[in-house]
Amino acid sequence: MKSNSVCFPILATLALSVALTRANVNNNNNTPRGVSPSNAKLYVPDSGGTWSCLDGSKIIPFSAVNDDYCDCVDGSDEPGTSACGTGQFYCANIGHTPSSIKTSRVNDGVCDEECCDGSDEYDGQTHCPNVCEEVGAKAREENDRIQSIQNEGARLRRGFIKYGKANKVSLANELETLKGQVDKVQEALTDARAKLDAANEAQDAYLEGSKSEREAARKQQLEPIIQEQTKRLKYATEVRDMLRLTLQNLKEKHNKNYHDLAVKGTVSGFDEYIVAQGEKTEPAQEDSDISSDRQFDTLVDETSVVLRDIGTLHDLLDGMKRDYNTEYNDEAVLAAVRVTEDFEVTWDSSRLDFVDVEHLVLPEELPVNNPEAEKFRDEVDLAQEAFNDASDKESKVQEGIREIERKLNMDFGPDETFAQLVDNCFDFKDTEYTYSICLFGDANQSSHSSTHLGKFSGWEGDNYDVQMYTGGAKCWNGPERSVKLVMSCGTKTEIVSVTEPEKCEYLFKLQTPAVCPIPEGEAEGEGGAEDQEQEQSAEGVQQEGEENTRKHDEL
Amino acid sequence: MALVVSAVKREDFKSCAQSGFCTRNRAYADLASETPDWESPFRLDPASLQLEDGILTGDLMHTPTTSSSSAESSGALNDGYTLEIHLLDNDAVRVRMSERDPKRRRYDGLHKTVLVKPLISSSQYDHLARDENGLFTINYGSQRQNSARIRFAPFQIEFLVDGVSTLVLNEGGLLKIEAAQARNDVADTRTRALLERRLEQGMWSERFKDIVDTKPRGPESFGLDITFPEIEDVYGIPEHASSLSLKTTRGPGAQYTEPYRLYNLDVFEYEIDSPMALYGSIPFMLGHSKDKTVGVFWMNAAETWIDIEKIKSTSGSNRKTTRTHWYSEAGVLDLFVFLGPTHRDILKQYSSLVGATALPQSFAIGYHQCRWNYISQKDVTEVDAGFEKHEIPYDVLWLDIEHTDGKRYFTWHPEQFPDPIDMQLHLASKGRKMVTIIDPHIKMDKEYHVSIEATDKSLFVMNSLLSPFDGWCWPGSSQWVDFENPRAKDWWASQFSYDRYIGSTNTLFTWNDMNEPSVFTGPEITLPKDAMHHNRVEHRSIHNIYGAMFHAATAQGLTTRNETLQRPFVLSRAFFAGSQRYGAIWTGDNKASWEHFAVATPMLLTIGLAGLPFSGADVGGFFGDPEPELLTRWYQAGAFYPFFRAHAHLDSKRREPWLFGEPYTSQIRAAIRTRYSLLPLWYTLFQEASTEGVPIIRPMFFEFPSDELTYRMDDQFMVGDALLVKPVTTAGATHSEVYFAGNEKWFDFYDGQVKRGPGVQSVPSPAYKIPVYQRAGTIIPKREKPRRSSKEMENDPFTLVIAVDSNGEASGRLYLDDGESFEYTRGDYILREFKVQGRVLTSRSLNRQESETEWSFIRRFSSLKVERIVFQGLSGPVSRVVIGDRPTAVESGHDVAGGQYVVVVSKANLPIGQDWSVTLL
Repeated sequence: MKSNSVCFPILATLALSVALTRANVNNNNNTPRGVSPSNAKLYVPDSGGTWSCLDGSKIIPFSAVNDDYCDCVDGSDEPGTSACGTGQFYCANIGHTPSSIKTSRVNDGVCDEECCDGSDEYDGQTHCPNVCEEVGAKAREENDRIQSIQNEGARLRRGFIKYGKANKVSLANELETLKGQVDKVQEALTDARAKLDAANEAQDAYLEGSKSEREAARKQQLEPIIQEQTKRLKYATEVRDMLRLTLQNLKEKHNKNYHDLAVKGTVSGFDEYIVAQGEKTEPAQEDSDISSDRQFDTLVDETSVVLRDIGTLHDLLDGMKRDYNTEYNDEAVLAAVRVTEDFEVTWDSSRLDFVDVEHLVLPEELPVNNPEAEKFRDEVDLAQEAFNDASDKESKVQEGIREIERKLNMDFGPDETFAQLVDNCFDFKDTEYTYSICLFGDANQSSHSSTHLGKFSGWEGDNYDVQMYTGGAKCWNGPERSVKLVMSCGTKTEIVSVTEPEKCEYLFKLQTPAVCPIPEGEAEGEGGAEDQEQEQSAEGVQQEGEENTRKHDEL
Repeated sequence: MALVVSAVKREDFKSCAQSGFCTRNRAYADLASETPDWESPFRLDPASLQLEDGILTGDLMHTPTTSSSSAESSGALNDGYTLEIHLLDNDAVRVRMSERDPKRRRYDGLHKTVLVKPLISSSQYDHLARDENGLFTINYGSQRQNSARIRFAPFQIEFLVDGVSTLVLNEGGLLKIEAAQARNDVADTRTRALLERRLEQGMWSERFKDIVDTKPRGPESFGLDITFPEIEDVYGIPEHASSLSLKTTRGPGAQYTEPYRLYNLDVFEYEIDSPMALYGSIPFMLGHSKDKTVGVFWMNAAETWIDIEKIKSTSGSNRKTTRTHWYSEAGVLDLFVFLGPTHRDILKQYSSLVGATALPQSFAIGYHQCRWNYISQKDVTEVDAGFEKHEIPYDVLWLDIEHTDGKRYFTWHPEQFPDPIDMQLHLASKGRKMVTIIDPHIKMDKEYHVSIEATDKSLFVMNSLLSPFDGWCWPGSSQWVDFENPRAKDWWASQFSYDRYIGSTNTLFTWNDMNEPSVFTGPEITLPKDAMHHNRVEHRSIHNIYGAMFHAATAQGLTTRNETLQRPFVLSRAFFAGSQRYGAIWTGDNKASWEHFAVATPMLLTIGLAGLPFSGADVGGFFGDPEPELLTRWYQAGAFYPFFRAHAHLDSKRREPWLFGEPYTSQIRAAIRTRYSLLPLWYTLFQEASTEGVPIIRPMFFEFPSDELTYRMDDQFMVGDALLVKPVTTAGATHSEVYFAGNEKWFDFYDGQVKRGPGVQSVPSPAYKIPVYQRAGTIIPKREKPRRSSKEMENDPFTLVIAVDSNGEASGRLYLDDGESFEYTRGDYILREFKVQGRVLTSRSLNRQESETEWSFIRRFSSLKVERIVFQGLSGPVSRVVIGDRPTAVESGHDVAGGQYVVVVSKANLPIGQDWSVTLL
């Protein structure tokens, strides 16, 4: 705004005669109504009987404080009326805790809960009884209840902490031990591999002499199964193309006015499938002069790709078949369902004949039989056995290290509280679904099928009471599913509610001792009597499988 | 993010070429234009004319001339027709044309539903059997200023005001009335030429997307051209997602290829800038030019199409003439002509026939929060708590279809809403209400009491074979209540009594959706035209009014459920002429896009001009996810929609006003609070609309009727006569081009800065506000305390914001009543007129019954105070202010840039219900 124009609220006062209502004050002292004791010193007239708005913007007669007319830009002249509406109205709430409400809620006809003394409604239009005694008693009772939960929770949490700290030390020790073994087992593995290689080389050198005869024999041996596999691939490809066509027709012809979520989900899944298909590169054309083994392997690979496609496409159709709204009679949907049903019948039987039960296995090459050949073979077998042993040992050690490191790298909070809960799983059933979550692991939703809701991706904030699980299955026309797990103090660990406040963004509420406040200044690891509690599974952890019901959402 | 949702499925809805009677009537127009010297084959028999008690009757004959002889081949014409012209006491004229002796009775019952009362003939007319031009002339109106000149052959009626031609019927000779007849009445037509085949397309049955319309009554459509001489702009005929001034659909350079269509349909993600039919229909058109204004109401509820063409004026004037061509599929040709002379007079005349808007309960003009769906009682409590926490006022929380037990209306989902009464009481404790959705499709379910009762009483719509019709909608297999049956209306209304609608309280109101009606499995997603109503009325004849009849029955239920009648609140998606008597409407399933946001303005202005002022568009857009800037801009504009509701689709993300954080929360809060501060103005405007039939938000031309620059302006509008509002409908805008009409000053609503008209100026429109200006010469009543809901403002004091014009004058009104009951109809209300003249502000009552009786509202509220008065635009300084003889505190300032003085009278302490004056010295 330009400087030579005016802004109404800061117009200069033309102090004219003032014949206004008496200062509206609290009963017992001279503090204006609605002003808290700590602010009382701000509401004192100066010697001339005037008073300055708290932001200093204006000087008004003190009698204009609480005269139900807003004089000050900051609303500070009306702490006890709704004239400005922007300040805080203080309720003494004797018998309970003092509180304050927005001045816009003074004399608005509502007995605000925060003012249990009813002082917010004093204009005679609405009578609000003083219920502070009653409310105060209830609040104290509730406080006691919370306190006792918190005491018990804190006791349990101390157990968690103790376990977590001890566990960290023992894991570190274990890691140390395993790391000490790495060199040894790797050396043994290298050694065994060298011996195996040597034995193979020796055998290969011996066999090189009869190569062409063996290849011819091999070709003849594999001829029938290559033919069979080719037939299967052709059949599977036809089935896949039929399913693709069905979905393509569904996509184009279904009636979008029905907003059938099952149909929408299937169509968008099909779109994703098509996009994924486009990204796959065609396998390079093999030259014709390849070995029979290679030819067979390629056929098997191609078949399994087609079978996977069939599985994917069928899943899409089956999902729709289970959930589509049968009442719309959308011809495109019904056609797809009929195809799916036919497919399921014929596929089940033909699959037996063609596709997966009688897996065609590449037969062993026919062995060359003579004593010398046997000797080479025995040596290879021995070396292979030794190599397998060494390899097993090595991977066990590496796996052990990875597992311990996974746990050691997890953020269990500054006091290791959550070590107790890692990989513990919890269920929650509502009318439609069962939700499950494994802490620091995965969250799922299931009814007849299971949907991945997300994988642990970290803590949110600095309080160690909110975890995020992200990257779950993608929603139709929406984001990947995710879970926000919000924890509150309780005496046992359980999910108390699951909601979906945003499409595909779930909110799990978990009660657990792990977030109960521990009184400040308390030394760690105190209380020898509690040592017995730190067994493998501490109290306060309710294990997966137990029935959880919606008892209390909050404390 | 890519929006996966696709646009409207055009192929789900008919084009003109797919509609038999549309094709036939358009072909007839083509025939006329291709035939040299085309003349209408209709003649009026001069000897048959009789004028008695304001009603002229005569015989019309169809005698093809040579030029029109090929039309003769179209066979479906009768030779005897009747003409009736009724001169009505409100200066409107009704014109009816029909077969004298139809082989099949045409539906002629619409007047029972549409007209508010029996028509009364005028006695103020005289006539000349033959004037100097050989025309039969009737002069009517108190000054005989209006004339109807009737030409015998070819038949034509011309309406004139003070001798100036204003509206002509059948000037283009397109009058065509198909004789209802059986199929074997006409010869086989297969060998004809294309145009002739088009003239007979779909007369006996037609197929659309595998559904056959059996047309048991054969063809019965009719059409007529209505010409607006030297009037370039015509308005109305909602509902279309299109401009305010209607576009051309015929002739060289036509802007649309399809005619405007009126056929209530549930259109999924409708396209904008299109004449496609939408959810509601009002066959009312207003023509306006600098010199004349005229209105037409085509009283027909069957499918109707309207072509618009701009042609050279026969007078040789530079101004073009608008010729419109109307054709309906069934019923009778029955239209009303309103000659004004002003646009306000026309709306008053029109609303005296079909009714002005009902005065709503006062909460209904507050802010409404809706979503498909608030899913549980807990969800409701949390959303309510969100408004409390963020100090955003609202009045009504809405529940969409998921709140029911399996889409059975009048029930509650047992797990999610176990105690609906407790939930309503919780909101009511803060003055808030709830709305639940109740749709006209009734789930077929032998355990569902509504279905059982309606079946037992035979109250459902039948199919063409007269067995109960069933179709598919949200609940699955469903049936539709037949509101053409008077028993159905009362039965439906009785469902709202508290002992039948279990879980309802007197703070629960209703939302009627899907009432076009939407039938997922029907042709064009609606009821088949050959479905059958009470008394064997075909659905074809009453399609466009079905939704309004449902709306009316619901409003009746809410009115009568209380012992002392309370005003109802019912929102409807479908509408027809007269829907304003039942409640509000909204523009249906729009999209979260800037384009849909922008088109809401012309749509709402058009609907208001057609007599239905209580309307809104879903703030934020129903489909999709608005970016926060769009949502905020939409709130800022939506705060100036008569019906102000935010709504969102099931698949969209939550978007309650606080969810986007700052600065958006504060900006949205400010927008909603602006609405609440202006509720006294809004309520006053509703009262004016309820008596005058005028819109509440108005096109610029409505307030500046002689300013031709405003005739096609539809991106800014007036709220009443006082506020100019310009929605900001582009992303990232920091300035907006605003047209300031007239020669007077305009005062920035937020800071009082002055703009002067006329002309376009670029004004700042930063993210936190949109341009809103107060027009000089007006007085706006406000309430400035920020409260939780409108109910909690009822004891609050008022502020008057005055903008004086260059003569130092201003005026405005304030209307107040109890906001709930019908006591105002007996006189228990406060209506004040404020006037500034010669530096004196006076308040006087316009309620003549005010002092007659002891009114409880007046008694209780007339002592409410005006606490603050702001004078803007004063030409000289003010030394002091005297109220009565009491000097009072003022603050004043001088806006040098605006060349004006400003005075704020604080603590004025003036009782709202009494006469007083304030003098500036």
